[in-house]
Amino acid sequence: MAFLISFDIDGTLEFGDPPGGITVEMVRRAQQRGFLIGSCSDRFPSAQRALWEAREIKVDFVAAKHMLPDIRSRFEATKYLHIGDRDLDQQLAEQAGFEFFWDHEGVAEPWLAWLDEHAD
Amino acid sequence: MAIPIAPYAWHRNREGLGIWEGRGRVVATGVGTSPTARRWDEKPDTSMGALTIAAIRRAIEDAGITPDEIDGIVLTPESTTGVSNDPNAPAPVGWDSVFKMVDYPQAGITRGDIDWILLNMPELKNVEFKMNGPVCMSVAFTTAAEAVSRGLTKTCLVVRGWHNLAGRYYVGQGAAARDTAAGPGKYGSIWGMPACATTAMVFEEYCNKYGKSHEMMAPFIVEERRNGLMNPDGYYTQHRPEMITVDDYLSGRWIAKPANIYDNDLPIQAALAVIFTTPELAAHHKQKPVYILNHAQTRPELQGAVPALNEWERASDRMGRMLYEGAGIGPEDVSFENMYDGFTLFHQFHLEGLRFASRGEKRGYALDLYQTDISIEGPNPVSPSGGNNGNGRTRWWNHRDCILQIQGRSPSQISRKAEIGISGAHVPNYCDALVWAASAD
Repeated sequence: MAFLISFDIDGTLEFGDPPGGITVEMVRRAQQRGFLIGSCSDRFPSAQRALWEAREIKVDFVAAKHMLPDIRSRFEATKYLHIGDRDLDQQLAEQAGFEFFWDHEGVAEPWLAWLDEHAD
Repeated sequence: MAIPIAPYAWHRNREGLGIWEGRGRVVATGVGTSPTARRWDEKPDTSMGALTIAAIRRAIEDAGITPDEIDGIVLTPESTTGVSNDPNAPAPVGWDSVFKMVDYPQAGITRGDIDWILLNMPELKNVEFKMNGPVCMSVAFTTAAEAVSRGLTKTCLVVRGWHNLAGRYYVGQGAAARDTAAGPGKYGSIWGMPACATTAMVFEEYCNKYGKSHEMMAPFIVEERRNGLMNPDGYYTQHRPEMITVDDYLSGRWIAKPANIYDNDLPIQAALAVIFTTPELAAHHKQKPVYILNHAQTRPELQGAVPALNEWERASDRMGRMLYEGAGIGPEDVSFENMYDGFTLFHQFHLEGLRFASRGEKRGYALDLYQTDISIEGPNPVSPSGGNNGNGRTRWWNHRDCILQIQGRSPSQISRKAEIGISGAHVPNYCDALVWAASAD
């Protein structure tokens, strides 16, 4: 059983511009708990990759924000989640069949509860 | 007393005027650029006004002169094309403990103001000539060129600051900001058309007419970012030193197809100041003088609410002819071009209007040129400054780089000898441009 989280960068992650509330530590924790993680942002893909590499996080995917449907088609998962700070994030997430959390909702790491909910 | 703008007659907006009377009688020397930021953090010392003061001090130092030699200022008061505060909004708490205030409460915050600058820069004690160059720093440059050539100021600061408030740049503008839409906006912006949409439509018309495609823009986009990342003063160098690839560009989200997100420039906070003076006084300035050979202006004469391809081609063709006529040069004399690029999709209209690197072609050749060597090392350097696309939104990186190129100290210095360069902004039918040269002849 896999869960996938897509993070927007600017306004969402702590290293975004402007910084958001989701910390690198939260991302690491999700990855360590088995989540497929990556970013879908308006930063261009090579820049996203460089940002993750600078933090020594090996993500499963990076993509332009409007490519969420492509991410969904590439990965088999029980749940798909996108976290962002703009109406556009919400709109694109919903169109792609992702659940959506606002950046401020994400700081509580609600996705961790999914592990218990879906435990065998 | 209200600061005046240049009389209409100062603007060279007609063909047949002959060689510009001020040709070779005005030079640029010192250049000062502030630090950049993505958005204002609402602290006084990072405000647009503070950046403007920093840029002015750097320009004076760069020229190797003393502040009391400055006797004129030409400034572009508008400091954004995006979101601003209410003009009567009070300054943030603590502002008045850092800056002295004029009557206009947003001075130094969301609007440039010459009197505010003079109040907060007591070292500028001999400024007598004050004039605004509205809307675009290009207008400030052409206004200052005329003022110096007419003997109204001998050593003149040309200044523009940009603010970028927190939030989204165009949110609350256009139809979203009004109860009713009036004027041309009722046709063009009532449904929230993004700013780049009209450019996208004309670009589409261009591609259809000449058999080109959006993909052909990619080499230009990559080259501009490369040039911008050589500039230590640019936003991307300072904050996001990320090189874009062709694949990155082509993966961009459509904002108004065929304009994608990377065809749009990124709003930032920054300020620029440049010293204009006479060749005689420049003899004791530290920097090599860069001569202004001519300037020219186009303004919209549209048949409809939005521009069409033939109108942009006609306007930019006329700009090319006016510039060359007044400067006494031709396209073959131009070493490089730094025309405006924010949005990237209209750069080629400017370029073709100048017939830059033309091999006899008149129109429809620029995107083919982009597939050749347009780097700073090559024979036809296109936008060596990197423009807004490579440095962040200011509309002045291009002008600044013309001065630095000809002085031989651009961070993206072209390999061929930089003798004559042209810069101008903004859209093809609303453009003010200048011809810069290494000598008066």
